Amino acid sequence: MTVAASVTPAAESLAAAFTIGPDDPAWLGDLREDALDGLRALGGLPTLRHEDWRYTNLAALAAQRLERARPDQGDAAAALLDRAGTWSGPQLVFANGRYRSDLSRVHGLPPGAVMISLGEALREVPDLVRPNLGRLARVDRHPLVAANTALFDDGVLLHLPVGGAVAPPIRIVHLVSLPGRAVAAFPRLLLVAGEGSLVTVVEHTISAEGERALVAPVAEIVLAPGAEVNHYRFQEEGLESFELASLHVEQAAESRFTSHALALGGQVARAELHARLAGERAELAASGLGMASAARTTDAFVHVEHVAPHCTSTQTFKTVLDGRARGVFTGRVRVAPGAQKTSAQQSSSNLLLSEDATVDTRPQLEILADDVKCSHGGSVGQLDPTSLFYLRSRGLSEPAARSLLIYAFAAGMVELVRPEPLRARARQLVAARLPAGARLVEAA
Amino acid sequence: MSGAVLLEIRGLRARVGEKEILKGLDLTVREGEVHAIMGPNGSGKSTLAGVLAGRDAYEVTAGSVRYAGQDLLGLAPEARAAAGVFLGFQYPVEIPGVGNLYFLRTALNAIRKARGEEELDAMDFLAFAKEKMKLVELDPAFGSRSVNEGFSGGEKKRNEIFQMAVLEPKLAILDEIDSGLDIDALRVVAGGVNALRRSDRAIVMVTHYQRLLDHVTPDVVHVMAGGRIVKTGGRDLALELEKTGYAWAGDKAPMPLTEART
Repeated sequence: MTVAASVTPAAESLAAAFTIGPDDPAWLGDLREDALDGLRALGGLPTLRHEDWRYTNLAALAAQRLERARPDQGDAAAALLDRAGTWSGPQLVFANGRYRSDLSRVHGLPPGAVMISLGEALREVPDLVRPNLGRLARVDRHPLVAANTALFDDGVLLHLPVGGAVAPPIRIVHLVSLPGRAVAAFPRLLLVAGEGSLVTVVEHTISAEGERALVAPVAEIVLAPGAEVNHYRFQEEGLESFELASLHVEQAAESRFTSHALALGGQVARAELHARLAGERAELAASGLGMASAARTTDAFVHVEHVAPHCTSTQTFKTVLDGRARGVFTGRVRVAPGAQKTSAQQSSSNLLLSEDATVDTRPQLEILADDVKCSHGGSVGQLDPTSLFYLRSRGLSEPAARSLLIYAFAAGMVELVRPEPLRARARQLVAARLPAGARLVEAA
Repeated sequence: MSGAVLLEIRGLRARVGEKEILKGLDLTVREGEVHAIMGPNGSGKSTLAGVLAGRDAYEVTAGSVRYAGQDLLGLAPEARAAAGVFLGFQYPVEIPGVGNLYFLRTALNAIRKARGEEELDAMDFLAFAKEKMKLVELDPAFGSRSVNEGFSGGEKKRNEIFQMAVLEPKLAILDEIDSGLDIDALRVVAGGVNALRRSDRAIVMVTHYQRLLDHVTPDVVHVMAGGRIVKTGGRDLALELEKTGYAWAGDKAPMPLTEART
């Protein structure tokens, strides 16, 4: 084990916050110890020296002493639930990473399905947790996975039996606030989708304005043959917050997985997807929209491993950047030697609204099979002056015309949000970030 | 049939970058009139249309444009729209992701708001727009499609006339509204323009070809060459041009103006 030469206040405070929970089974205690070791061995929070973090600066976070909220310190966070909008489907609410049964509703599940807090799962059905927790999200590879595994207070277990279909989308809301402090929250999701099952899950993070916070959710999703899982992430952070999320997926044959992330706030909003296409004819569609202004960063990181033949993956990402904002896209695709007939596409389109905004887009293809179709494309552009003039010549003010064109650029990403109540919400969130956006909600 | 002077251009000069394109242009348009501005490629027709609508690629270096008693050149494009100026584009812009009717309602309400009129709600607007779509035989399904996205050339031009019908301008400048149209589409577009002729509205059609004028009979025909209007006449001038072509107009000194106004 190596120890980082200089331990940052953030890493030090996280290590100091480490405890093994009284209800943790012995194997989880061991896993947490390993995770803490992993965090130390990896040098604490990532810096620009890490290849996978070259363009995403966490220095302001590293300088911060972070705190875990106590169970009685969830009220300010819980009060943010109003901002999440109404939701009629199943909903699980977490305040500073701790489950709030009083704000949650569990219904509409098929027979044999389990949806409970991770704490409860560890007490009631540990055998559903143990084989998969920490299997895909490895504590020795990724500092934030290590931090999450060492420190998560609670999370969600969603276990679907063979053929189990959950019709309404399930919403998991992460609310984060601890006034006057810098709180760190580590939400955890473990989703095991049985053969031929179907579910849509939304993870929606809301953190308080003006508070420096770290939210580092980790999700592990295992798809059995023929399962279909749709995962949406809405990052609606306060402008001082850091959300560094990662999603770890393993797909068996003929399973279908979609990941769609809207990064709409935060000093840094990063959404990672690590997917392994392990069975033939598995399909993966990853997409996301990042919107950032001022000196904020939006970062999409995708790593797809094509292990089995005849699998398909697509990556479609867009950013809208204003002020001195930075957009980062890393699309890494590895096609293993046996993975013939792989189809892998990626595209990164970026709209820069100011001279000072920057975008770094990195397609990284490693192809070790010879019969594959892999492509990548990208664009970086500004608003088209002819289109702006067209709209203004019809009577739209300049801010309204700009807003409409920005919205049009982003609209495809909004429409990828399939469940209607969620799409309406996505429309509102995107429109609210435009210069004259409040009236553009019906644009599409 | 001529009414009050609506548009008065005097000595207009404009350039793109270092290249001067309009070189002292004069034009007077009265309410109720339909003018055709004809001329060879590169004569400055589209530049004139763009300058009048406020396209910022053009820099006006001299001259004046009075519109309905105000200095048109001092207004932003949206303010010109609110004041009743409409430009039908030669190449209507595709805007994927923005619904055609949504866009048009936003535009109409922006104009109504600027004029101090009440905005139309979605239902009222829809009824109003559907009526106007009939003018150019536009299928109502076009309303929910993205602005001009995937439209054929003819559909785009019909959409321009549809927009004009909805926005009800006082001065419509139609830049090559006939280009790229087959004869059936031309008939539909021309029919739309004719239906929109009114005693308090002026229409200026910029065109390279006289065939549009077989369908929309102008009151005044101008020939433009070298950044100026070099000849003005009646309907007959267009027919004459068809026989002689533009070769005579070239870049030579302007011909004496013919007093052909009726």
